[in-house]
Amino acid sequence: MEFAKKIVESTEEIFNTMIFMEVAAESPLTQGKQDLGCHISAMIGLTGGLSAMLGIHCPEDVGLAISGAMLGMEIEEIDADVKDALGEIANMVAGGVKERFATENINLELAIPTAISGKSYTIASTTTSNRVIIPFSIEQGQFFIEIKYHLN
Amino acid sequence: MKYAQDIAEATQDIFSSMVMLDVTPGEPFKRADSKLVNSISGIIGLAGEIKGMLAIHLPDKTALAITTAFLGMDVEDIDEDVCDAVGELANMLGGSIKTTFDPGGSKVQLSMPSAIHGEEYAVDCLTNAESVTVPFAFNGQTFLVELQISQNN
Repeated sequence: MEFAKKIVESTEEIFNTMIFMEVAAESPLTQGKQDLGCHISAMIGLTGGLSAMLGIHCPEDVGLAISGAMLGMEIEEIDADVKDALGEIANMVAGGVKERFATENINLELAIPTAISGKSYTIASTTTSNRVIIPFSIEQGQFFIEIKYHLN
Repeated sequence: MKYAQDIAEATQDIFSSMVMLDVTPGEPFKRADSKLVNSISGIIGLAGEIKGMLAIHLPDKTALAITTAFLGMDVEDIDEDVCDAVGELANMLGGSIKTTFDPGGSKVQLSMPSAIHGEEYAVDCLTNAESVTVPFAFNGQTFLVELQISQNN
């Protein structure tokens, strides 16, 4: 299935072509690390050949830097623009993952993105799901792209 | 409001049959920019001909009471069991509401559920989606069920 490879390729493509930011993928984490110390997340459901949830999780500074680069403006706090930008990134990365699965005849459909923000929250997957988390580095720090899935 | 009646029926149905609790729906509203405090949310995506997201938002103590009723065992902290139970509730509610849009069962599918827990967080609807939230009450406790449906289909 090579989830990690598909996520890395899709994320690098989106960041290079849509956000114009260099990102460096690090080794995948497979442990369900509960608290990534993040202040803004966007998640989107995937269905069809897999039942999954894809998320991007960012510390505040990283979320502001990414959305600022994407929107071409300076952003100082997590507002509706940041939530929309992160939601759109989750949507695009999930779209890239969907395209890559389609080449293997696994068809996926996307739900709509939801943003989660706050000073303190954790996101738990159901304990029976598989989970892959890829950390990515940018100048301002790390963000994480996560996929949780069940094979249908 | 559109879908409010479907949410009320699906939620009452799931709670009475699976959690053995009678819940009473209140007046539907549009939840906007409100922070959730000491709460847990279960969310699940709907995709296919209809795209959307269903969420259930529970204050911690309500989540503990519901999980206790649902699992038939005492739970005192928001732990893995509670997160699983809330994710499963979202899954069951999603399954029930899905039959409203898709009686044949083949056009809309559910994603995997997720549970979000925190002292203070916001769960926001993005994209051009229609959203409706229905509050429910039982034994002096309250919780919310929210449905977002994309209008871009």
